[in-house]
Amino acid sequence: MRQKYVCAAWFGLHFLLIISFSCRETLGLIARGLTIFPSSFKSFAQKAETVADAVLGQHLAASNAVRQALATYLHIAGIETGYSYFAPNVPGSYKLVFELHYPDGRVEYELPSVSSAAAGLRIAGLLDQIARTRYDTLRQHLVKMMTQPIWRQHPEVKMIRAVFGSINLPSINEFEHGKRESYDFLYSYDFSLREAPPEPEPR
Amino acid sequence: MPVLRKRLSEFLFPAETDNWLAALRLGLGLQITLYSLSLRNDWNYLLSGTNNGLINRNLAEALLSVESHLVPRLGWLAAFGAHADLNEKTVLSAAWICLLAAGCGLLVGLACRVSAVLAWFLHLCAAKSGGFVSYGVDNFMTIGLFYLMLSPLPDRYSLDWRLRKSRPKHSQLLGFWRRVLQLHLCLIYFFSGLTKCLGSGWWDGSNMWRSLIRPPFNVVDPEILIRWKYLFPAAGVFICFLEIGYPFFIWNSKIRKIWLICICAVHAGIGLTMGMYLFALIMIVLNVAAFGPGVIRAERERISLRPQEVVS
Repeated sequence: MRQKYVCAAWFGLHFLLIISFSCRETLGLIARGLTIFPSSFKSFAQKAETVADAVLGQHLAASNAVRQALATYLHIAGIETGYSYFAPNVPGSYKLVFELHYPDGRVEYELPSVSSAAAGLRIAGLLDQIARTRYDTLRQHLVKMMTQPIWRQHPEVKMIRAVFGSINLPSINEFEHGKRESYDFLYSYDFSLREAPPEPEPR
Repeated sequence: MPVLRKRLSEFLFPAETDNWLAALRLGLGLQITLYSLSLRNDWNYLLSGTNNGLINRNLAEALLSVESHLVPRLGWLAAFGAHADLNEKTVLSAAWICLLAAGCGLLVGLACRVSAVLAWFLHLCAAKSGGFVSYGVDNFMTIGLFYLMLSPLPDRYSLDWRLRKSRPKHSQLLGFWRRVLQLHLCLIYFFSGLTKCLGSGWWDGSNMWRSLIRPPFNVVDPEILIRWKYLFPAAGVFICFLEIGYPFFIWNSKIRKIWLICICAVHAGIGLTMGMYLFALIMIVLNVAAFGPGVIRAERERISLRPQEVVS
């Protein structure tokens, strides 16, 4: 009987966390105006999101033991994210192209590469994360790390320019009228072995 | 109040056979095996903690530490290996081999509990340390493995049961863990469907089109897809309805079979048309384990057995 009570208590807590996280994510989408809801819903969604945040211990200090324990549990149970895959709308995708500048003036182009399609999906996820990050320093650092394997493959290269862009997908109507996917420049970073920090070019 | 408590108890702790657990073990064993094999050439490259990899693992682990220092990560294994004079490459390769072995162990049902815990731990380490290259499939694998390792293993189809004659300690909890998995899936689909319904693109079919032509999911030539454009609005609404209706219709024994087939067909379709094979497989595995046993009539008769009779 005692075992049943323990299980029931765990069940209650576990599902409270899942529901809180999912509600928070859904409310966050409404609060950011990404849904079909009118903008008058935004303030309500923001307030409700705060309540969900409180349930998940997000108002506690980052070093707080309860918050840390909660975060640990969420991660080990795989419930630290919501389930709004491809929702409310399918996001655009991104592309990273490396321009390899050789000492003789030659320029070649490379894409980040992996051996399998399964790993390719992960690269696409990485590019999404780079695009989504709000911190330019982090974005630059991630792009720089992705440049390093290219350096190793082409040690004779003088400079590598990493160009990060978004892919514009045509609508059905546009596709029928001959429009195909196009690229929009977002960021570029120049890396050279001699120059220390790369300078990002503004958008 | 006692009536409510009794009903709740009956709902949370139903008598249950271990068919669902066998399906979950086999499915996750297959999933882990295919996951490991699909990343065999890129494992070290994606998860390296040095500058030899795609993204230095230490960055993802540092960001993870902001949330919690206690979440398992490959850095722990690398540090442990360093004490034994093992370089990082060897540790990562050993982790990959152990994960593959755990997957095979689950597949045949050998050392089920150890295999389940090892698979959960190593996959979690890889998913968290490779946080920048993780996506939805890792989340669902963690969820499945978390429930599997806590469930009363082994099941009667495993080698542990047949050869080693080992039996689960808490078989009365078989129904409880199946219920947890069932309810979790209901919430997953409900919120997934709800958030889709909130986007205009799922009502007019444009999101169906975008998801199928979006790199790297553009497996099917858009010239072929465009011929089916009139189906996209209906398909978008159908997916929303299927997902948001899941927690309401999957419990009805008459509709369950149709719903389960439809949802598995959608996932199989996603796998084939978008190249997300592992994602499709994990979702089908979780669905079949949660709601599959009992769908077929013969299974329904067996399900009425009391757990004690099954175990003995």
